[in-house]
Amino acid sequence: MKFIDDSRVRIAVLLESSGRVLAQHGFARSIDVMSACALAAAIHASAAEIGRQLDGTPFTTMHHPGHERQIFLGELSTGRGAHILLTVFDDATSIGLVRLYFAELSRRLARAAAATPSAPPAFVDFESDLNRNLATLFGRI
Amino acid sequence: MSLVNYAAREITCKIVYYGPGRSGKTSNLHYVYDQVPGDRRGSMVSLATQTDRTLFFDFLPLDLGSISGFTTRLQLYTVPGQVYYATTRKLVLQGADGVVFVADSQRRQIEENVESMQDLHANLAEQGVDARNVPLVIQYNKQDLPRELIMDVPQLDDILNFRGVPFHAGDALRGTGVFETLRSISELVLRRLSGATAAPSVAAGR
Repeated sequence: MKFIDDSRVRIAVLLESSGRVLAQHGFARSIDVMSACALAAAIHASAAEIGRQLDGTPFTTMHHPGHERQIFLGELSTGRGAHILLTVFDDATSIGLVRLYFAELSRRLARAAAATPSAPPAFVDFESDLNRNLATLFGRI
Repeated sequence: MSLVNYAAREITCKIVYYGPGRSGKTSNLHYVYDQVPGDRRGSMVSLATQTDRTLFFDFLPLDLGSISGFTTRLQLYTVPGQVYYATTRKLVLQGADGVVFVADSQRRQIEENVESMQDLHANLAEQGVDARNVPLVIQYNKQDLPRELIMDVPQLDDILNFRGVPFHAGDALRGTGVFETLRSISELVLRRLSGATAAPSVAAGR
């Protein structure tokens, strides 16, 4: 939230490089966030690969200025691997400010990500929940 | 591996549909999109060429519901099957929790199927993933075509299914085997996450 308050972006999504959402601000439906993340991960992966092929070094940030809204996409290196931050902003802020607070966020995340291995979730009623939901979604095959 | 968000109590699993060009990967996703209720799915994103061949990927998010108090979501991706999109396939495969291999049952496509299966294993190995640990389901698609044009399921299984994974006969355009395949891979992925050892309850083969 500090990054959003400071940088004054409208939308911010933190995702894994595989496209999975970690945290978001600005979207109403979580299922819409997933589409945005799939596209953001694809843009990031493509840009990184183009950088690698042209230059030997992956491109890690990208800025696209639209008419009213702008997109900034950047890679954050944390203790748990690389993550991507997708932001959408308008004339309430500027690319310079977004970059400034992005760099600060990157440093804070690197410090916060002192790795504690995550255990698998303790599943209770796993079988009945799984079967019920699969039957609801796919029908009783 | 699957993303488990303890704070939000959410599980997200990435499932990638792999296979040779024109085997029916996108058709699988289109059928799922058409059949699943609107409140259980997001928009289908397709990055395709003007001739509708998949250029980068197709993407469909599904809301599976609550499992053990965790909101569980599936992210379905397809890869572009054409040989020259090798780099893109690697990118899309990154972080996959499960793979559906959509094989083309046509007799003349058998070499493409074998090459694509080898390509899948090579790409997983390149990402440091032991393919034997990745949940995999095979769909033998286009089984609706005339018998003289296709190989039957046991023949295909002999050639492609050296790991002995669950498989289904399919006709993705009309939906035959589509949900069965998705259900099988969902079960495998979620059971793996839960650490459960029970065999999947629904699988046409094995």
